[in-house]
Amino acid sequence: MSFKMLSIKSTAIIAAGLLSIGALGAISPAQAVVDCTTATSDTDTCTVLTINTFGDVIEPALVSDYKRDHPEIKLSIKKSDLDALNGTGLYTQCAAGGAGSPDIAAVEISYSGFWRSYPQCFIDMRTLHTTVGNKSATDIKKDYLPWRWDQGVGYNDSVIGIPTDVGGLEVAYRWDLFKAKGLPYKRADVSKAWDTWPKFIAFGKKYMAKVSAADKKKNIGFMDNAATIYAAIMNQGTEKYYKNNGTDGGQLVYKTNPQVKLAFNTTIDAAKAGIGTRIGQFSSDWNVGMSKGTFAVMLSPAWMMDYIKGQAPTTKGKWDIADIPGGGGNQGGSQLTMPIKKAGMPNHKQQAWDFISWYLAPAQQLKVFQVYGLFPSTPSLYTDSDLVGFKDPFFNNAPTGAIYADGVKKLKPIFEGKLQRCIDMAMGSALSLVINGKEKVTTKAFAKGLSDADKCK
Amino acid sequence: MSQTAVSRKTNKPASPWKPAKPPKKLNNPNAVLSLNGKWGYLFTTPFFVMFLIFGLFPILYSVYIAFFNWDALGTQEFIGIQNFVELVADDRFWNALLNTIDIWLLSTIPMLILSIGLAAILHNPHLRGSTFWRTILLVPNITSVLAIAIVFGQLFGRDFGMVNLIIGALGFEHVDFIQGTTSSHIAIATMIVWRWTGYNALIFLAAMLAIPGELYESASLDGANKWKQFRYVTLPSLRNTITFVLIVGTIGGLQVFAEPLILGGSYNGGDSGQFSTLTLFLFDQAFVAYKWGYAAAVGIMITVIVAIVSLINFVITRRLAGDGK
Repeated sequence: MSFKMLSIKSTAIIAAGLLSIGALGAISPAQAVVDCTTATSDTDTCTVLTINTFGDVIEPALVSDYKRDHPEIKLSIKKSDLDALNGTGLYTQCAAGGAGSPDIAAVEISYSGFWRSYPQCFIDMRTLHTTVGNKSATDIKKDYLPWRWDQGVGYNDSVIGIPTDVGGLEVAYRWDLFKAKGLPYKRADVSKAWDTWPKFIAFGKKYMAKVSAADKKKNIGFMDNAATIYAAIMNQGTEKYYKNNGTDGGQLVYKTNPQVKLAFNTTIDAAKAGIGTRIGQFSSDWNVGMSKGTFAVMLSPAWMMDYIKGQAPTTKGKWDIADIPGGGGNQGGSQLTMPIKKAGMPNHKQQAWDFISWYLAPAQQLKVFQVYGLFPSTPSLYTDSDLVGFKDPFFNNAPTGAIYADGVKKLKPIFEGKLQRCIDMAMGSALSLVINGKEKVTTKAFAKGLSDADKCK
Repeated sequence: MSQTAVSRKTNKPASPWKPAKPPKKLNNPNAVLSLNGKWGYLFTTPFFVMFLIFGLFPILYSVYIAFFNWDALGTQEFIGIQNFVELVADDRFWNALLNTIDIWLLSTIPMLILSIGLAAILHNPHLRGSTFWRTILLVPNITSVLAIAIVFGQLFGRDFGMVNLIIGALGFEHVDFIQGTTSSHIAIATMIVWRWTGYNALIFLAAMLAIPGELYESASLDGANKWKQFRYVTLPSLRNTITFVLIVGTIGGLQVFAEPLILGGSYNGGDSGQFSTLTLFLFDQAFVAYKWGYAAAVGIMITVIVAIVSLINFVITRRLAGDGK
């Protein structure tokens, strides 16, 4: 109920904002003809807002909406590789005191633990207020999922990033292949059959029992890569590698946290059961395998659905979405941040904050969901009939909006620290040793993962 | 034609056979020196300014930070040689070194043989369209490394890669090139060979064209067949070129970076570091782990290793190529 109220309120404010801009345009005809399409730097009439991003964090349809409402703002968007942006880009810019920084930078959540420990690299968005509605980051906090919001809060409590979409994590599966092998194939039955991870592995084994020896030789398997289970289980706990002990940096607990061992061992169990095809995600084999039925199951964040449609258009209607075992999950998502800038560079704090707060508001997130399938991080939409009622024909008319909403609501905030990503990669390498048969003894691989993680310090 | 004749007539002292007296000023050797010196410095300045800023300074600075626990956004703490002590005990470093050497061997030896062979074919005076062949040899070299790596990555795919389709058609089991250690090295070495063979063939061709024809004539008079001419005339004459190509190849080979990066799609060089190379490890430490001091120490070790290997190369190739005896 309160969510619904919120949605109405914020929509009203945005509508009011749009109206007032429209009114301004009507009063001064000079404003209406402003065209900043070709502007490359600030002029008397145009402001060039620079945005560094990767993938489709900033969607074209909304960019044209913004241009229509704000002809005086030119959004200059530069896309690059994710690592280049988050690693070499932001880092070196901050080390150089903000030289070369854009007005807005997208930060992927796997880097959020790292950047939270360097809040001095970002402008604290609590200090900024929107032109329309006079809202600061503190005022809009209530619109977002709490655990998603926390990923953009620095150690000194400053707000350094506002959440974009939320990945969520459910299971995309080929119901036609399940049916052909005599397994449950309706989404409710499937969700029930694998409500825990051990049951998921057992389900995979049953599937593999029906795969012919010749197909096994062709690397046909149940799921794309068993290694993806690790991150899913890690996110279902309350702690990962850090314990929130009240200090800024938190306390490293990866050696003692039972969740790490559980996630590791369960993943190894799945791999040893032979249910994964060991294809690397985003490799060419993976892309082709998606349409050829090399695997029937993949753990799928909401944004992945769009990827599947793009890679395997011929499998339309053969996929469905079931609940992830263990309850809830997330993979992916970003924050929009405002990096510090060196003195003397154009100051666009106001315009940047106006854009970020507009772009990530519930109304715009709903449009992104409708057009691009990215799932909103604003819970007020989770009761919105546009989202809950959404059925995807590609996925056998699964109510994807409702399924993902349920999943992301189950997650709890987890403290993420500076070495999060580095430790994750060390554990991933150790997992891969066992999955690819280079290390037979699970405990040895686990010990290697932990000792490699030590080197992150 | 007539103009030249006129000018020659009117300007008698400028006869090409009798050099004109040089202007008096140039008689003074000091004047020559100072004039040349002035312009010389001016013309070489841009290079040295760039070199100081982008070459020398970063090198010295990285030596400096190698002795620190260096957080570019936080604090810097002097820790002496601890980075080097840790590095020597770090199995990831030795793994990267072994991988690098393996990839280097797998790429350099076939590349050397292929490029000398190609050069010998191009050296044949009866070859038609030689300019065309020489030009297309350079095409792989001017193609973007990223494009090469992406295409080869797909060729070597496990399930649907073209190489494996052929292997499968021949009745063998598919090879998981990227997951295996030696197989991934072969995939990377193939990219390097494909990219550099043509380039080196042109260098060898240039060296072959510089060999005096008399040597071949006298060799054939002595009854040497084509192979013997190649073995006892061509190869010894290429000694210096082989040394050059090997040393340049060593420096490049020990710094192989883009190929394994794109093949694996991340800086760790494969899920278990099976094709992590020295430079990839350096980059991983700097931009993933953000351990700048440690990464600088890796950089210094790479320099030392390149110097040592180049020296060994130099000695061995000198001895191998000998005087053709």
